[in-house]
Amino acid sequence: MFAEEQHGLIDGHSHDDIKRGERFFKGLLPFNFKGQSCVSCHNLVATDTLNWNPSAMAIAIKYADRDFESFKASIEEPVGNKLTVVHAGINIGEEDLKTVKAYLDNMAMVGPKPIKPSINNLLIFLFFGMLITWALLELIFFRRIKYRIIPVIVLLGSLGYQGKVISEEAIKLGRSQGYAPDQPIKFSHKVHAGENGIDCKYCHHTAESSKSAGIPAMNLCMNCHVLIREGTNSGKFEIAKIVNAVENKEPVEWVRLHNLPDHVFFSHAIHVGVAKLDCQKCHGPVEEMNLMRQNADLSMGWCVNCHRETDVKFKENGYYESFAKMHEEMEIGDLASVKAEDIGANDCMRCHY
Amino acid sequence: MTACDVIIEIEQLSLVLPEKQSQKYNLRSVTLTEYTKLNTFLMKTYWRSLEELQDPKALRIQEAREEAKQKSLLYKSEGGNGGNSRRDFLRTLGFSLAAASIVASCKRPVEKAIPYLVKPEDITPGKANYYASSYYDAGDYCSVVIKVRDGRPIKIEGNELSPISQSGTSARVQASILNLYDGARYKGPENLSKKITWGDADIEIPKALKEISEAGGRTVLLTQTVISPSTRKLIQQFMESYPGSEWIQYDANSSSGMLAANMRNFGQRAIPDYRFDKAKVVVSFAADFLGTWLSPVEYTKQYTAARKLDDGQRDMLRHYQIESHLSLTGSNADVRFPVKPSEEAGIILALYNAIAAKTGAEQFSGAESAVDVSSLADELLSAKGKSIVISGSNDENVQLLVNAINKLLGNYGQTVLWDSALLTRQGLDREMTQLNADILAGKLDGLLVWGVNPVYDQANGQELEAAIRKLKLSVSFAERKDETARACQYILPEPNYLESWNDLEPKMGLYSLAQPTIAPLFDSRSVQESLLTWSGTAMTYGDFIKSVWESDYYSKQSDYNDFRLFWNYTLQKGVFETPSSADISYSDEGLSVAVTKLPESQSGTEVVLYESIALGNGKYANNPWLQELPDPIAKISWDNYASVPVAYAEEKGLVNESVITVNGLELPVFIQPGQAKDTIAVALGYGRVYAGKVGDEVGKNMYAYVSEENGSRKYRIDNATVEVVAEATFPLALSQTHHSMEGRPIVRESNLDEYLLKPDAGNELHEEHEKHHATLYKEIEFKGHHWGMAIDLNSCTGCGNCAISCQAENNVQVIGKEQVRNRRIMHWIRVDRYYSGDPANPTVSHQPVMCQHCDNAPCENVCPVAATPHSAEGLNQMAYNRCVGTKYCINNCPYRVRRFNWFQYVNNDKFDYNANNDLGRMVLNPDVTVRSRGVVEKCSMCVQRIQEKKQEAKLGGRMIEDGEIKTACQQSCPGNAIVFGDLKNPESKISKLFKDKRNYHLLEELHTLPSVGYLTKVRNKA
Repeated sequence: MFAEEQHGLIDGHSHDDIKRGERFFKGLLPFNFKGQSCVSCHNLVATDTLNWNPSAMAIAIKYADRDFESFKASIEEPVGNKLTVVHAGINIGEEDLKTVKAYLDNMAMVGPKPIKPSINNLLIFLFFGMLITWALLELIFFRRIKYRIIPVIVLLGSLGYQGKVISEEAIKLGRSQGYAPDQPIKFSHKVHAGENGIDCKYCHHTAESSKSAGIPAMNLCMNCHVLIREGTNSGKFEIAKIVNAVENKEPVEWVRLHNLPDHVFFSHAIHVGVAKLDCQKCHGPVEEMNLMRQNADLSMGWCVNCHRETDVKFKENGYYESFAKMHEEMEIGDLASVKAEDIGANDCMRCHY
Repeated sequence: MTACDVIIEIEQLSLVLPEKQSQKYNLRSVTLTEYTKLNTFLMKTYWRSLEELQDPKALRIQEAREEAKQKSLLYKSEGGNGGNSRRDFLRTLGFSLAAASIVASCKRPVEKAIPYLVKPEDITPGKANYYASSYYDAGDYCSVVIKVRDGRPIKIEGNELSPISQSGTSARVQASILNLYDGARYKGPENLSKKITWGDADIEIPKALKEISEAGGRTVLLTQTVISPSTRKLIQQFMESYPGSEWIQYDANSSSGMLAANMRNFGQRAIPDYRFDKAKVVVSFAADFLGTWLSPVEYTKQYTAARKLDDGQRDMLRHYQIESHLSLTGSNADVRFPVKPSEEAGIILALYNAIAAKTGAEQFSGAESAVDVSSLADELLSAKGKSIVISGSNDENVQLLVNAINKLLGNYGQTVLWDSALLTRQGLDREMTQLNADILAGKLDGLLVWGVNPVYDQANGQELEAAIRKLKLSVSFAERKDETARACQYILPEPNYLESWNDLEPKMGLYSLAQPTIAPLFDSRSVQESLLTWSGTAMTYGDFIKSVWESDYYSKQSDYNDFRLFWNYTLQKGVFETPSSADISYSDEGLSVAVTKLPESQSGTEVVLYESIALGNGKYANNPWLQELPDPIAKISWDNYASVPVAYAEEKGLVNESVITVNGLELPVFIQPGQAKDTIAVALGYGRVYAGKVGDEVGKNMYAYVSEENGSRKYRIDNATVEVVAEATFPLALSQTHHSMEGRPIVRESNLDEYLLKPDAGNELHEEHEKHHATLYKEIEFKGHHWGMAIDLNSCTGCGNCAISCQAENNVQVIGKEQVRNRRIMHWIRVDRYYSGDPANPTVSHQPVMCQHCDNAPCENVCPVAATPHSAEGLNQMAYNRCVGTKYCINNCPYRVRRFNWFQYVNNDKFDYNANNDLGRMVLNPDVTVRSRGVVEKCSMCVQRIQEKKQEAKLGGRMIEDGEIKTACQQSCPGNAIVFGDLKNPESKISKLFKDKRNYHLLEELHTLPSVGYLTKVRNKA
């Protein structure tokens, strides 16, 4: 009875199978494959760089509803060119492979392991807090150290460090510069905008006319991907998600990177369509980013500074003819250039209303 | 005379002047020239309430005290344990600190961005689309343009292409966008409160209809007036498929008497086209044509056009109003006679006789007139063919007499036309009365109710409800909860007008289309489609309309030679006109009999039951915007009340909020200046019991007192028993004294004759103040634009459309009766109403006041956190995220236009209105921040619209055109009273209006340099 409980089945798989499958997946039980294991390519936790290969979780979800045969086929006799190359030489017994599928099925069911937050900064912060306590006690009660300057320096230094950390963290509150979350599809701007040189506004085509630059609709992806079904880096796995979304009418839920607060009204049309700014000015070297990340901190200071430095297309755009006096000043040379700030770009109600 | 002498002189003057007048001026600050003009100017006193008239100083002290009290009252105090201690404060502070630090330490939530799978071609995220459509309900027609943002209709604008409403709307039309997102809408078809499918209904109901028809029974389709040609067609089709069925049109606020008279005189079951823009003299007997009578938006457009003076016109329409209750129209009249309603017929007869005497027509003897009409008759005769006489009476005999007067005056064919007759009211009351009796007598088997609510608005509603429950078949097509639907077996909800197709013919030969702007939110189906299905035509209503238009209207035009083009362009424009002319002749049939049956004047107290501006017939009582719109005259929201005359109140010792009983019904009292002697007025449309969370049990249902006379509904109680309920009070949300500008001279006015002599008549002070503009500070220089607004007081009728339009555009929140009483109403634009003259019959002035965007703004330099600075374009900006809520700006604003968010009005169960649920919040404008608790807000001059149009101009590389930017209040103003534009552009309309001699600024002596100007009101008294 005891044994039966230990070997109890979860969704058709025993604990032992799942455990064994996990060991295979992680390479603890080696099988014959150029010294590699599944986890070498299919990562278990999110990474901050782009791993082209589908993650363990993505595979688990894809094959959760499919039978073992199709799973086996994708490993041993894959259809795509890339997969054929990288999976060549895998040699794992069928029974062992079944345990791997069991492990993945279980993963799809229970979800990925939670990531433990890093607490280094907090520990350092607390350490300095203890130093402060010690320094104060030393100064007031213990008085063991001859040179009083030492605890004073320790105290001031620690306070300084803590002050710096607090102010930095406070400024960063609600900002997310460098935010680069995992996306549901491993879409690379480097491949599309960089290597293939597709214009930003081909996909984000409302940037010139609307306040929103627009996330391209799936049917726009299909303009190209109706033919291109396999990528050099990602193989078929990622592109299949687009086709799947369009065919099954399941929208893709991208993780939003640039979150301006609700009380800020920003218009792409003014910046791209009128001021003719490059996208990179705010979004950074997107053409070099595999995994899209937030480039600027999107703080108000950042907006306002740019308005102070950027010239308005004062002579080129007919709208500015309303500013008759400034044009006159320009003619006689009293005014060299007109910055955005000079025509009220830093007024509150340009962005907040 | 030295300066010192002047001061002494002025101080002596202040002793001589009555106290209430000297209050209006800080006499020490007036200059010598002003002083010389003071005597003449001070002749007129303006007051907002009777208390202010009697003792302005005491009122001001009391108001200030009240205001201070309300400001300290942060939490709702109930049962005497209200107020808050220091401990409460510390507790709140501690909690907020803790909460803030916890919230701040949390990570931001992961937000998702979900693009379209297949993007619809005509939708650009972030850009609004506009679709022409039409509003029609309860006799109100309006051609509109619906603003749709990312698939959600969020705002209604007037359609400039419509020859009827001409870009104007009414408050009810503006608020109708919220009806779409009403939680009280039925979610799907029901049978006796059990959910059914449309398929079930399509089997069960035709079966029942057939059974009734085959057994020789009787089924009635009861609707409001149907003006859709396609619907009229398919109703005929439906009735043919079920022999024995009948169609009855019923209007709760009916024009049955007019229709009956016109059927006799002209053979037309319609109402002629009144053209106020062609008239020189208008005499209205209790017809509230600027507020509620027939087609108020159209009439307001015409009326104000005939009274404009801003473009060099030197002539104005003169308007006489004879009525008992001070209506919106009466408040705009040049001459107003308060009379008892039963005296009206006698006056009309006297007027007829006076005119007949001069034109040689037959005269009739009858009751004596309460008003001397001889000069009125002379004036009408001198404007022969250029006058209009109308009556709001629902009595056929009175209307026959009015028709005869218009005939004698030669108005037919000139100002009263039959070419494009009005079709929006076709219900004959006697048909409904008969039906009512039949239902009670069990002579009816089946009842299909669509768009009307007889259980609520018939006097015997409760009996009717019981009888309807006993019918073999009863079907309601109600869109939202109502009393009649509750009594019916089947509820088959119809979609909102913003979700459905329709075509309308409001006037003969003038057609308009309505198109869906959103997919149906609930499981509803248009009534037309149901009727089509039940009569065996498997067709959607949209296709049916198209087929009707292809066969009937396509041939009536020659602009397009392909039906698809014709259809698409008509749909885009929303309206379609075919030239129509009617050769209709007048016959004086029945006049000699009618004069013998005129209502006789009564001696007792008469109660007038009138249609309110906001609620109409009460169908949309669950709309919180309408409930919170203060009545244009009384400035009361959230209730109906008994308006009593001033003398009566004095005699009985009544004050506002006292309670009286009228025929046993308890009503709160409001003392209404201008209310005729021996009359009381109460609004209809209140007292719903099954309307929804917002509308239930608000006010009293006065339809219970609507009786019948001469075959039509009588909106009057004769010989009413009125008793005072001693010591009882009922709180009213009365805002007439709120946001007072402390009795300073705000309204400036003159009369036409003075104006013609001197264009700055009544506005002499303006020039004086202009001379004294001097400042130590550097004058602000505007480089590109300087936005300004001009309001023509001559064109503002006070209808309240702007308040609701602004509310919809700028996410202004509803706060409920109690908070309105606490003087916290959030409306960014309020329409102030001032009385002057005799309290028994005062002269009324309406004045919309919003943020004046002063270039020298008192609010700006007191803000400790610079949350309200001035923009480079002359706007007084308000940065909500910077505001910490000190309210210094509110205290320092002389115009009282800033509003404070005392509470979180969104997502708060204490304020359970539209902003407390996801459905209701769909109406929010995504381009305007929803303000949170603790910040100040105010009019932004629709900065989001300015920014939008500027962006368009910049993208097009062109300058902004004058008139391109329209604020929300301006766009749909039925009186064209508001002009917005760029003061930097010397050619703009606003610049010209600012140079007009009539232009002045509010409290300009303070040197606040407002960007809003007002044009003096010019009356046309004889």
